[in-house]
Amino acid sequence: MEKLMADLKRQIIEQLNLKDLKPEDIGDDQPLFVEGLGLDSIDALELIVLLQQEYKIKLASAEEGQSVFRSVRTMAQYITEHQPKTV
Amino acid sequence: MYIKAAAAISPQVSFEQILQSPASYNSNRLNCAEPDYTKLFDARIIRRMSRIIKMGVATAKDCLHQADVQSPGAIITGTAYGCLADTELFLSKMVENKEELLTPTAFIQSTHNTVGAQIALMLKCHNYNNTFVHRGFSFESAMLDAITLLHENAVEDVLVGGVDEITDTSHTLLSRFGLYKQHAFSNLDLYNNHSKGTIAGEGAGFFLLSKKTTGNSYAKLDDMATLYKPSSPGEVAGFVNDFLHRNNIRAGDIGLLVSGENGDAANDKWYADMKKTLFNDTATQAFKHFCGEYPTAPAFALWLAANIMKTGKIPAHKKIKAPGKILIYNHYLTIHHSLYLLSAC
Repeated sequence: MEKLMADLKRQIIEQLNLKDLKPEDIGDDQPLFVEGLGLDSIDALELIVLLQQEYKIKLASAEEGQSVFRSVRTMAQYITEHQPKTV
Repeated sequence: MYIKAAAAISPQVSFEQILQSPASYNSNRLNCAEPDYTKLFDARIIRRMSRIIKMGVATAKDCLHQADVQSPGAIITGTAYGCLADTELFLSKMVENKEELLTPTAFIQSTHNTVGAQIALMLKCHNYNNTFVHRGFSFESAMLDAITLLHENAVEDVLVGGVDEITDTSHTLLSRFGLYKQHAFSNLDLYNNHSKGTIAGEGAGFFLLSKKTTGNSYAKLDDMATLYKPSSPGEVAGFVNDFLHRNNIRAGDIGLLVSGENGDAANDKWYADMKKTLFNDTATQAFKHFCGEYPTAPAFALWLAANIMKTGKIPAHKKIKAPGKILIYNHYLTIHHSLYLLSAC
């Protein structure tokens, strides 16, 4: 889980071009939107693409995104539960 | 109407640099000398902006700051190629990902009106906002719209500009059409070798136009005109003559001709013929060796002329006195011809 969260922080910075941030600046439980990192609705779409590209996970519904993208930890938990198993 | 403020990002750092020692490049493309955008904008604001958007927004911001205007009556932009880098990114992703998993940012930022939109977003300005995409008349169309709005008293002032960028892909594609010289070339030697092709350029130029002057305006913009696809240089001479006549002046009244020669033999013949017919004894200032050739290069020419008018200093003629009237003549690929007439104010 720790490695997955570290990977996610790096991928979020890269995908959203958050050049002023380093992975260690993002807390595991820090809110990603509004009062936290200050991400917006366009970033939410970018995160959906990130999940599909990097982890082959497609969100079942837009509503699901609110809870999945609450923090890096909730994203990591969702990925762990939903990532397709490789044979 | 008056040019209250003029700002540009170009391959030259500033007008002062042009006067003292113009930037020298040994290439067949001139890229802009860009400022450190992190000193101008919050990193969160610029993280989605591509290079051309940053160039346009920073130039507009500088222009508004000079004029001490918070929210202009209209924002009008001209661009021939639009936001090429993001367009290329979006199209490449579309191919790579087999039309799936497309990131929204590149798509949103790839439209031609993104520069004007980002300026409005930055200013929270809900006024008239338009972008013109008309090849070599993109900047001219934006200017015409701005002048019309001011003539109709629809607004007090207008922020109007022209922006275009070079990318590696666009440079490769346009090179295949034979537009550019085939080898590295010194921009300062551009007019000494009349071979085929020119050097590519890019830039952003923004102006704050107003019907009233506050005393520190750059210049008075008397008139502008366009001519599409003339059949011969003789037709251009007639067009210029008519333009001078409708402004009640003669060729001899022009103190400085700012003209758009670009070092391509076939292209420059049009300038030579027009000058021979009308402006044999007029001082001339070329500008494409400063900024390169691109469809909205007249925005750079207008910025240069406005600065010459304001400072009274002419890069190519350091010893002659400040001109009372400046005529800008430019054509793009011999198809789109434009004139701008400026007076001291």
